[in-house]
Amino acid sequence: MSLFIERMVNGLADGAIYSLLALALVVIFRSTGQLNFAQGEIGTFGAFVVSTLTLSGWPVWISIGTAMVVGFAISAGVERIVVRPIETRNPGAVIVALIGVFLAVNQLTAMIWGVDARGLPSVFPDDADDFVTVFGAPLRIARLGILAMLAVVVFLLWLLFNKTKIGLAMRAVANNQESSNLVGIRVGGILLLGWGLAGAIGVLAAAMLAPSAGLTGTLMLGPFLLASVAAVLGGLDSPLGAVVGGLLIGVTEAVIVGYVDFLGADMLFPVMLVILLAVLLLRPAGLFGSERVERV
Amino acid sequence: MSDALLDVTGLTAGYGPIEVLHGLDFSVADGEIVVILGANGAGKTTTMRALSGMISRGGTINFGGRSIGGMRPDAVLRAGVSQVPQGRGTFTDLSVEDNLLAGAYTLRGGTPGDDLDRWYGVFPRLAERKDQKAGSLSGGEQQMLAIARAMMNRPKLLLCDEPSLGLAPIITQELFQVLGDLRDEMGMSLLIVEQNAGLSLQLADRAYVLETGDIVATGTGDELLADDTIKEAYLGVVS
Repeated sequence: MSLFIERMVNGLADGAIYSLLALALVVIFRSTGQLNFAQGEIGTFGAFVVSTLTLSGWPVWISIGTAMVVGFAISAGVERIVVRPIETRNPGAVIVALIGVFLAVNQLTAMIWGVDARGLPSVFPDDADDFVTVFGAPLRIARLGILAMLAVVVFLLWLLFNKTKIGLAMRAVANNQESSNLVGIRVGGILLLGWGLAGAIGVLAAAMLAPSAGLTGTLMLGPFLLASVAAVLGGLDSPLGAVVGGLLIGVTEAVIVGYVDFLGADMLFPVMLVILLAVLLLRPAGLFGSERVERV
Repeated sequence: MSDALLDVTGLTAGYGPIEVLHGLDFSVADGEIVVILGANGAGKTTTMRALSGMISRGGTINFGGRSIGGMRPDAVLRAGVSQVPQGRGTFTDLSVEDNLLAGAYTLRGGTPGDDLDRWYGVFPRLAERKDQKAGSLSGGEQQMLAIARAMMNRPKLLLCDEPSLGLAPIITQELFQVLGDLRDEMGMSLLIVEQNAGLSLQLADRAYVLETGDIVATGTGDELLADDTIKEAYLGVVS
């Protein structure tokens, strides 16, 4: 029983990373209708920025905040320099360009920081004895912290979207760009903001994951794939779906790795592919998505 | 007409290399209801989009004595010109109230709470449905919402792009009543482009007839209603 609780909580903590990344994907998909392939790599880049800053003596919190600003700038730059010019000419080509950005950021990270793995300090207490015991299960503070972080981000995003004028503008632009223009919303600025926000969230996700997973150039490769499945499962246009989808995928992963011996860790991605196909066949809009997810 | 609120001369606009409007001259005086009558493809929507700054345009557009011809949509709104777009353009996934708040987007400072109350008073149906998604409203209710949303910006001139499109005749009548009230009770000026000649010309102080990007006739609403060619082309009456 205690092992089960431990595995589930760890699964939820992993799932929280996928949720954060899926949220970033959804924020962009809602406004631009694109799946940002470079989302994970921008996060990895940001995690290396955190590493550099902490190594030069900056506190971890401030390092992460700074790296999130860098992630915001990179992601907003991608929207302005790559996505927008291509989209006006050929919307279908944007996805190819984003794969290009994925490769470019990946290579840039390797060029700057090399390919050797390095550690990253956790923002939460992460020594050997930093755990609480619940029903006999030792739960690490650092893992619980990630779940708390997800809750904070979800709350802040909810405030932004539902309680601020800029959030109203973001929802309006996601719904109808032409009408947004007509009520005086500068659509370009709002799109830039959405991409930037997604970039910052991606960096946060990477900085949460790196302390336990180890910081390498491929840090976010697997999580990005799982977050994509999570976003499709939850519904590509639903922030709530992204959160639930991420947590579900995290728990599914924990169950497969922990209890399904004939599948195990090696078969994780094939199983996720089956889940992805099943969602696309049975419920293309996802659990919480609206039926109309194609661009209009 | 030098005392015009909106004074347009030589308005040209189009899409890419295709010119749709070939130099339109028209005006709207303060407190006046002006209708531009035109069939499909005449350039009605292009005219509205050009006035709102949604597309690039040539010629001069003076509003309240200042040139708005080079302004972006948000600046045109701040100058006091709101548009009710064709097909209503409501934010279907947003609540009725959020739609109205989005209409007040360019207003600076203060809460638009008073404006909300005012328009809920004018359109009680919207008040009843304020938390519903706009997409769940009927066509007529959505048209009322689109008008209220445009009015949230506290404009001096309201542009209406084919408000009768897709509405039942009885609803269209109600709608033109509302548009008339905006002028009679609030002193609004209105520029309406329409195909529905019968109702719109009854409401109009003056009207223009737009054909393939040129204004081909003008007069008071009654004059045009009595005109045989107009009757034939827009009212289906063969004389």
